[in-house]
Amino acid sequence: MAESRAADRKAARRTGRLKQAERRAGILFSLPAVILYLALLALPIIQTFYYSFTSWDGITATSVGLGNYQRLFTDSTFWRVVFNNAALLASIPFAILIPLLVAFLLNEHVPGWRFFRSVYFLPTAISWVVIGMVAVRFFAERGILNTLLAGIGFGAVRTDLLSQEYGALLAVILTFIWSVFGTNTIIFITGMATLDRDVYEAARVDGAGTWAMFRYVTIPLLMRFIQFAFVLTLITGFTALFSLIFIMTSGGPGYATTTLEFFVYQTAFSNGVFGYAAAIGMVLFVIVFAISVVQIRVLQGHGE
Amino acid sequence: MSLWRRLSRVATFVTLSVVAVVMLYPFYFMAATSFRSYDQWLAGSGFSLDSWLALFQAIPVVQQLVNSTIVTGAAVLIILFVSTTAGFAFAKLPYPGSPGVFLAIIAGMMIPIQSIIIPEYVNVSHAGLINQYPGAILVYAALGAPLGTYLMTTYFRGVPSELVEASLMDGASYWQIFLRVMLPLAIPAIVTVAVLQFIAVWDDLLIGLLFLQTPDVRTITVGLATLQSARIIPVPVLMAGSLVSALPAVIVYLLFQRQLIAGLTMGMGK
Repeated sequence: MAESRAADRKAARRTGRLKQAERRAGILFSLPAVILYLALLALPIIQTFYYSFTSWDGITATSVGLGNYQRLFTDSTFWRVVFNNAALLASIPFAILIPLLVAFLLNEHVPGWRFFRSVYFLPTAISWVVIGMVAVRFFAERGILNTLLAGIGFGAVRTDLLSQEYGALLAVILTFIWSVFGTNTIIFITGMATLDRDVYEAARVDGAGTWAMFRYVTIPLLMRFIQFAFVLTLITGFTALFSLIFIMTSGGPGYATTTLEFFVYQTAFSNGVFGYAAAIGMVLFVIVFAISVVQIRVLQGHGE
Repeated sequence: MSLWRRLSRVATFVTLSVVAVVMLYPFYFMAATSFRSYDQWLAGSGFSLDSWLALFQAIPVVQQLVNSTIVTGAAVLIILFVSTTAGFAFAKLPYPGSPGVFLAIIAGMMIPIQSIIIPEYVNVSHAGLINQYPGAILVYAALGAPLGTYLMTTYFRGVPSELVEASLMDGASYWQIFLRVMLPLAIPAIVTVAVLQFIAVWDDLLIGLLFLQTPDVRTITVGLATLQSARIIPVPVLMAGSLVSALPAVIVYLLFQRQLIAGLTMGMGK
């Protein structure tokens, strides 16, 4: 009796030691990631929050309370920038619907569909800088777009989109839609591969046409993938277009193509107003964070 | 197959081909334009290597390709190191509070770069690392680490814990288990993370623009962007530059397409 209790205690002590070793190893193994995260992600976001309440030139900072945030509300440029972000947001249904339709066609598995899939996804590997370089030549006055228009008899509508206020915004948005096309198509193709082909056969037997199948079978069953693509596209549009705008328009003409992220860069690194730029950065952070949290909620709601 | 279905398949094929042309045209445009001199480009015909020669005179192409390789390579290695070690820890070696630490790191994915770039820039310049490779490398590594950690943790969770326990019984240390058991098993996920991050870092402009400012340390992507803002560079030269900067990432894409797609869908948490 006493002997077995002693053995139990010994075993407990041994598993305790093992547990302790496991914890120590866990802490040590996660340490490099934690240090990198704290020094280069957590610290600067806290600093951005702090400096957003100051007037700051990179060296000295003086507190201005809510001054920067109040200034945002009265800054007409800021509202123009918010409008540009809203325009990007409004374009996302097109950046979803076109890939969805093409993925639906790809899913028919006509000869060469694997080749088409690779081709569509290829721009994912290309930098926004290169995409922007070509896009500028495409939309330029002596560019490809006007050549095409002339070719089909619309020479009269010859345009120089990039020099016009709303034209430039349209050009950036069209390039954006082109760029995310491949990624979204791949997401939907992956989604469609998870669907049971019998569902389609059953619908076909019931006399459903192609459009009816797309509308009433594919879209509802792919909702989870559509939401994922929507959020991914939105975050790309709000946080990854810096280089594209830098190359295509530098935010212009005027502020016609300046989005929040580009506005942060301009305010900080062109105008040297770091405190105000930090406040704009916080606005962007809150928007992206909120979208991401909603995405996680939505995806978890559908998973299980 | 009915005539109607056959016709609809032909229509599908034609539509997909048109889309393919739209997606491939920029590549054709870059290649075709770069092999013409400016005058030939305006005239719309001819073949010349002038633009390529001009490109090599305008920017130190080889040096900037080397810079890109150093910066991208080092950043990807650091990301792989921190995300595999952390992934092993979060998946197999729980400690009090580790789920919270994991969540905090994952939340790092939701921080837009523009929201932290100003203090980041100030901090790195205080450390004297502007125009030095390590400054840009560390920033890239930090930006890529959350996604890498997330993907590796997800992957390691799928590895049976019995493998770790059995190796412990055999007297292996945790470090030995990590190196000899976990890493070899995780090669598919490691390749996915490496490819995703290689393309992200190679293609980036903002970090390079701010942290590597002089021509001799710039990456090729930044070199190309600054070439464009000079405004006096002829279009065929810019297209030659675009092609050079795009090629390495395109090659990586062609070799590792499947892993790239796997990474995208792994991001859905499935």
